[in-house]
Amino acid sequence: MPRKLRVAPLVALTAAAALTLAGCSAGASAGPASDAPRVEGGTIVYGHQQEPACVFGGWIEQAYLSTQVLDSLVSLDENAQVVPWLAESWEESDDQLTWTFHLKPGVTFTDGTPVDAEAIAYNFDHWVGGGNSTAKVWLQGYYQSAEAIDATTVAIHLQKPYALLAETLTQGYFGIQSEQALKTRSDEDNCNSPIGSGAFVVKQWNRGQDIVLTRNDDYTSPPANAKHTGPAYVDEIDWKFVPDPTTRVASLRADETNVIYDVPAIEWSNLEGQGYQLEKYVTHGRPQQLTFNTAEGPFTDENVRKAFAYSLDREPLVETIGHGVIPYEGNGGVSQTTPGYSQEAADTYSFDADKANELLDAAGWTGRDADGYRTKDGQTLEVVLPYGAGSIINADGASILQGVQEQVKATGFKVKLIPVPQSEFFAGAYSKPSEKDISAGYWTSVGSGILLINWGQSTPDLPNYNNAAFYNSPELENYILQANSTADPDARNALYAEAQQYIADHALAIGLYDRLSTLAVSPYLKDVWQENAQGGPVFYDAYFVQ
Amino acid sequence: MTALGQPLLTKPVSAKLAATPWGFFLAIAVLLFFVVAAVFPAALATHDPYAMNFANALHPPSFEFWFGTDESGRDLYSRVIYGTRESLLIGVGATAVSLSLALVLGSLAALAGRFASAAVNRIIEVLFAFPTLLLALLLVAVIGPSAMSQVVAVGVGTAPGYARIIRGQILKAKDSGYVEAAVALGHPRAWILRNHVLPNALRPLVAIFALSVGQSIVWASSLSFLGLGVAPPSPEWGALLDAGKQYITQAGWLTVLPGLVIVVLALAATTLGKHIQNILEKDEK
Repeated sequence: MPRKLRVAPLVALTAAAALTLAGCSAGASAGPASDAPRVEGGTIVYGHQQEPACVFGGWIEQAYLSTQVLDSLVSLDENAQVVPWLAESWEESDDQLTWTFHLKPGVTFTDGTPVDAEAIAYNFDHWVGGGNSTAKVWLQGYYQSAEAIDATTVAIHLQKPYALLAETLTQGYFGIQSEQALKTRSDEDNCNSPIGSGAFVVKQWNRGQDIVLTRNDDYTSPPANAKHTGPAYVDEIDWKFVPDPTTRVASLRADETNVIYDVPAIEWSNLEGQGYQLEKYVTHGRPQQLTFNTAEGPFTDENVRKAFAYSLDREPLVETIGHGVIPYEGNGGVSQTTPGYSQEAADTYSFDADKANELLDAAGWTGRDADGYRTKDGQTLEVVLPYGAGSIINADGASILQGVQEQVKATGFKVKLIPVPQSEFFAGAYSKPSEKDISAGYWTSVGSGILLINWGQSTPDLPNYNNAAFYNSPELENYILQANSTADPDARNALYAEAQQYIADHALAIGLYDRLSTLAVSPYLKDVWQENAQGGPVFYDAYFVQ
Repeated sequence: MTALGQPLLTKPVSAKLAATPWGFFLAIAVLLFFVVAAVFPAALATHDPYAMNFANALHPPSFEFWFGTDESGRDLYSRVIYGTRESLLIGVGATAVSLSLALVLGSLAALAGRFASAAVNRIIEVLFAFPTLLLALLLVAVIGPSAMSQVVAVGVGTAPGYARIIRGQILKAKDSGYVEAAVALGHPRAWILRNHVLPNALRPLVAIFALSVGQSIVWASSLSFLGLGVAPPSPEWGALLDAGKQYITQAGWLTVLPGLVIVVLALAATTLGKHIQNILEKDEK
């Protein structure tokens, strides 16, 4: 046996790895000429990060998918105006208790049945009856009944005025399905391939890999904010599930995908420089925020909640991790793109270590343990922060949470971060007050009406599982209820602002950053856009160029 | 090497390091360094491993930051040093679990009655049929991600291979001339087992232990890399790799350098193990 050390293979391996890395960052795409001719048809390969259980449902990942397949009554345009989709026009009665929608005539579902008033009315009852958990929480307390007046006229009767009903209906949770399909097909079929009147239909779902959507050649009902009419330009969409962000970016650069979702902040400027088209939608509704558990644990004390807020220097943290792509958000109620946003509520807390220390002293957390964490009666000030890793909070968000953990250490908080896998998270892990001290997460919504879902009181008769602070306040709820039923936008927004200020003043929740919906699109694919209700990708107008 | 199941590194390098005295001393030096890092991390670290420094985020390796900094400006070298304890403990713990389990299964398979040993052998074979990582993933899925579950998962995952080795060693010792002689001399069974079979059968375990620690660290890092390991902000090595992968195209040092550290430690442990094995084999001759 020769005694010479053979390190050449290792050296070669390292060199190869280094070259690969260098190649990744250097590869720039030239892009098509500005007058490049259009290509007919083709398949858009889209790399999305998460796979939901069903195409249609109450989670935003489902809304993104179902809007490809299902049309809604109305759509939200880029100026946040509600525009026609299946409904040509609509009006609200004088008592604000009846909304009448007039449908486009002659539209059919892909199973051949008509999109008529009967079908629309059936869908409303279907959602409220449990067909869509999120549609249900949006409508409950307001929805009374739906009535087909004639074939193309449907009346929605309300229990009390709901000023933002039309805006609410622009979300993907309110996609209209064939009544016949809902009544006669199995739950499994309606889960895997719901029947709508949309621009695409589900061809095949290869679980764990992709969903193939194929063009509806008879499509006649695009929303008013679309860029063309008639069927979609491309033949198919291959909606792939690629959970790892690095892999998604690599697949785009390698031309294995034409569009990817959720672009890591660090890749943003690089991809832009390489000719990719980047789309960013700052989610309306609840931002990525921290809600304190007011029912159990140290945060039952308002002073401790405030101390936590004053311990954080959120803006530089978000700026650093977010590379200028992710916006800082101080408001714990709604995000800055949401109508009714209060800047004053957002600015309530800024970094002030002295104040935080005073508040903790006043709250009796005066001792310190060996690691410098505060103690009270021998107990360490430890708070548990579980988060849906990879599902609700992406990798950038996880880094920001580590920043939170590190920043509050200085004033003596010990934050225990628990990354919870998607399956466990959606199975209801860490949802009870005894299991967590802080809840992190967002909730997309067109308007500030989301506040009712997150802050409505929870009673034994009508439990509100979305009230993550476990905080029942008639005063807070009243602001939101009044706002939801106020027709005048200024008066309505003033009430929403009161609610946000209440949340800030009692330190029930504090903002962290705004959740983004982002796309990076190949320069050879044109006219991919993000719809304005929830930021989902729209492929209906998209076409390839040479 | 092949008898251990999965060869850990390219054979020529580790084999030759083992044959070279200076390779052996280098391995000892590397291992000593990591032991010091595990016991007194503050003595080797240059920065606070958790302190964030936004002004220096994603700083490439430099004189001040030897391994560069991560997305929050934390010093990667110091994080690697502080991550040594957890990574080593997981490696050693998993090996201890693995070898204990293997010892019980292997001994039963070799020494129990005909039916019992057949049954144990089938169990080992069934476990052996699963790839190690798959078995470990299954266990983490059941008990939930944590350092402890990594120890158990990697330990149980790697046990079947070692059980086979131990069974073989015991059978070899049982059939040897000195045991036959002892039987002929009329010594009681238990006495023979204690004084002849077990000492001879278990001596190679010392080498296996050293080899296995390196391998267990690699397995545990794989689990952490998949997000199934320790909770943040722990700088356990696999977790560092996992956190760094998002930045691989812009800040390759975040994955390459912790990866190299894992390779170096595993290489050193393997070299040491092979060397011990050589010494023991010479003793046997």
